[in-house]
Amino acid sequence: MSMRKRGGPLQGVRVVELTKVWAGPYTGKLLAFLGAEVIRVESEGSLDVTRVYGVDDINNAPGFKAVNPQKLSVQIDMKTEKGIALIMDMLKEADVVVENLRPGAIARLGLGYEQVAAVKPDIVYVSMGMYGSDGPLSYQTGYAPCFAALGGLSALVGYEGEAPTGMNIRYADSTFGAAAAFAACVALLHRRRSGEGQFIDVSAVESMTSMIGDAVMDYSLNGHVASCDGNRHADMAPHGVYPCAGGEWISIAVSSDDAWRALAATMNAEDWLDQSELATLAGRKCEEASLDKRIADWTRNQNAEALALQLQQVGVAAAKSLSSLDLIANASLWQRGFYQEVTDQQGQQRSILGPAWKMSRMAEVVDDAPSLGQHNAYVFGEILGLSEDEQQQLAAAGITR
Amino acid sequence: MSALTAIKVLEITRTVAGEYAAKLLADFGAEVIKLEPPGCGSPTRQLAPLADATVAGESDPERSGLFAYLNTNKRSVALDIETHQGQAALAQLLTRVDVLICDRQHDWLEGLGLSAELLESCYPELLVCAITPFGQMDDDEVIPAEDLTAMHSSGWGFHTPSAADPERPPLKGAGRFLASYEAGLDAALCTAAALFEREASGLGQFIDISQQATLASRTDYVLGQMIAGDMNVSTERTAYDLHGPADIYPCKDGFVYIWMSAPAHWQALSKMLGAPEWMNDFSENWLERECTPERVAECRRHVGEWLASQNKASVAEAAQKLGLILVPVNNPGDLMSSPQYQYRHFFTELKHPVLGERVYPTVPYQLSKTPAQLQAAAPLLGQHTEEILKAEVGEVGEDVGELEQ
Repeated sequence: MSMRKRGGPLQGVRVVELTKVWAGPYTGKLLAFLGAEVIRVESEGSLDVTRVYGVDDINNAPGFKAVNPQKLSVQIDMKTEKGIALIMDMLKEADVVVENLRPGAIARLGLGYEQVAAVKPDIVYVSMGMYGSDGPLSYQTGYAPCFAALGGLSALVGYEGEAPTGMNIRYADSTFGAAAAFAACVALLHRRRSGEGQFIDVSAVESMTSMIGDAVMDYSLNGHVASCDGNRHADMAPHGVYPCAGGEWISIAVSSDDAWRALAATMNAEDWLDQSELATLAGRKCEEASLDKRIADWTRNQNAEALALQLQQVGVAAAKSLSSLDLIANASLWQRGFYQEVTDQQGQQRSILGPAWKMSRMAEVVDDAPSLGQHNAYVFGEILGLSEDEQQQLAAAGITR
Repeated sequence: MSALTAIKVLEITRTVAGEYAAKLLADFGAEVIKLEPPGCGSPTRQLAPLADATVAGESDPERSGLFAYLNTNKRSVALDIETHQGQAALAQLLTRVDVLICDRQHDWLEGLGLSAELLESCYPELLVCAITPFGQMDDDEVIPAEDLTAMHSSGWGFHTPSAADPERPPLKGAGRFLASYEAGLDAALCTAAALFEREASGLGQFIDISQQATLASRTDYVLGQMIAGDMNVSTERTAYDLHGPADIYPCKDGFVYIWMSAPAHWQALSKMLGAPEWMNDFSENWLERECTPERVAECRRHVGEWLASQNKASVAEAAQKLGLILVPVNNPGDLMSSPQYQYRHFFTELKHPVLGERVYPTVPYQLSKTPAQLQAAAPLLGQHTEEILKAEVGEVGEDVGELEQ
């Protein structure tokens, strides 16, 4: 069973994943969506928590499936020497390895960068850690909201004058994973041009700081520590999220003086149009609390979607704040092909989130997430060239399954 | 020298997303030529944070810290691409570069032979990456959008903050430009992958990045389960939440974040606090099995009281030793004095002719052989117009250069 060619820019690239939970698997998913063959090495004795937590069937774990479509799975016991030797043999046939195990764990397994590079010098080795792989705090671990708190991002989210709330608790892992995937692609390009592999050390906390670079520059230039400012924006006013009928909300960003006049006209707020001080951003910034209040009074009994459309038509940036129900029905996401179907292990169609991007030559995404060890025969037989007897011996010894 | 040293990128964008995508490439050594309208330059030159008036005047195009951050390692050409000569120079430039980063719809691209349909015949080796709020639209419709409305079209807005008070508005996210940074990152990712492919195929291609889809894709763990029918969808603002006492709490000198979801975290908290009496009212595994709103509220009250008397750095250090997941909520000042950031040289100094010597954030990935490097501060408006037009465009360039003056 050789792998079907799916096309895409990374077709022909083989990635081995030694990853857990969300961030590392997300990196692998992006590479798979770009056409790489991504093989997850999984060990029955230390399974990814998303395969098991609150789940009856490890091969039908919803969270795991959401982050691991289009990947292959090989089951190898990493607590055995032979198992580690098998993984090392796989790495000899791989282009990229991605790992996000606990700090130091990968080296203790004998699969650290130096150890892998000794047998596969041109490997692109991506190591992901909360604080990166070295430094005085690199021993520390945490979950996604810790990355956002430590990296300076959470402090900027919250209502004016109050304690920060941070982003929704799901934020950080996927962004961290995307940063790692970008670095891996850059390294693959360098390798194709020079033949040289390398070690890539990605820090989750730093990936968060990268998302607030302008706030860091504010401190750097002016010594100013930005704090929570609700929905305010230094360069736009009004700029906010306003209540609508039925518990819905509308986001409105007035980004120019023209947009301001269009908003005021739509609201029939003749008096606003007459006030010359409101014609400029500086004037509106001084009055934004009262502007917000009157806009909220105006939006309160309206339909969010209809109102957003009405404002867009006169040139004002506006959008309904989409709930999960709205998102799965969203026309632009469906039209784009962002939601698509794959085939699961039973041959059933299943909906997934496909790639967010479109390219002239996309990789096909056709398969659901793998069951544990689903691709053992392909990996051991075709990639490693083991005979059926040898494969059976490994399984009998409990090293594979 | 870095991984993208031989790559030439033309950047024509008015937005943070496009500038950030090109910055990610420039910091890996790509030669980024930034086209800006003469006179005012990129709109981001007027956006906050601005250096104070003693450094630069009111409408000085060189006083924006945002622009300085987004345009490191780039070169600026002031060129009016609305004019006949400007278009001729642009057409020449397009034959000299490997990548175009822009933020336009199909109709604009078509006029220059850059649409997905025309690319193969007009510029077969060129990579065009267009970043827009909702992606390329069939009917060239331009929906007015800003980062705020993109965030709220993606699910992140509606579901931020966690444990939302239904009476208060959902929030914009972190800072002003999260939607742009996320889309810029995906744009750089796809561009790097397409450059990798082009080494073998010799072919360019069109890359269409949507801010909305990029942001929504970052929620795959929840939205992926929802679209598959494995998780309930609703109109609740808490639909993405993990319920429990995890949250940001005030302490004496700022804020800390504490995560608790498993019995091990509860035990660590007990050790940290010396097994106080109030914890006896909770079972060892309540976080997993009995996480009711009442218990969460009670737990939060006690944790909040305790943390109010603590200092963020020292309590976090003690917690880490006991396996309690508690971290300080850092601000940029904390980051600049962080021993970890200093050890990894996350910040670097660059000298800019107007802003002076300032500290800049670098990148979150360290590559052992081809590290990203911030070598040059952002360019002055039109700083490289003459030099680049002469080198890349020849005679046409000289004409344009004269027109400028």
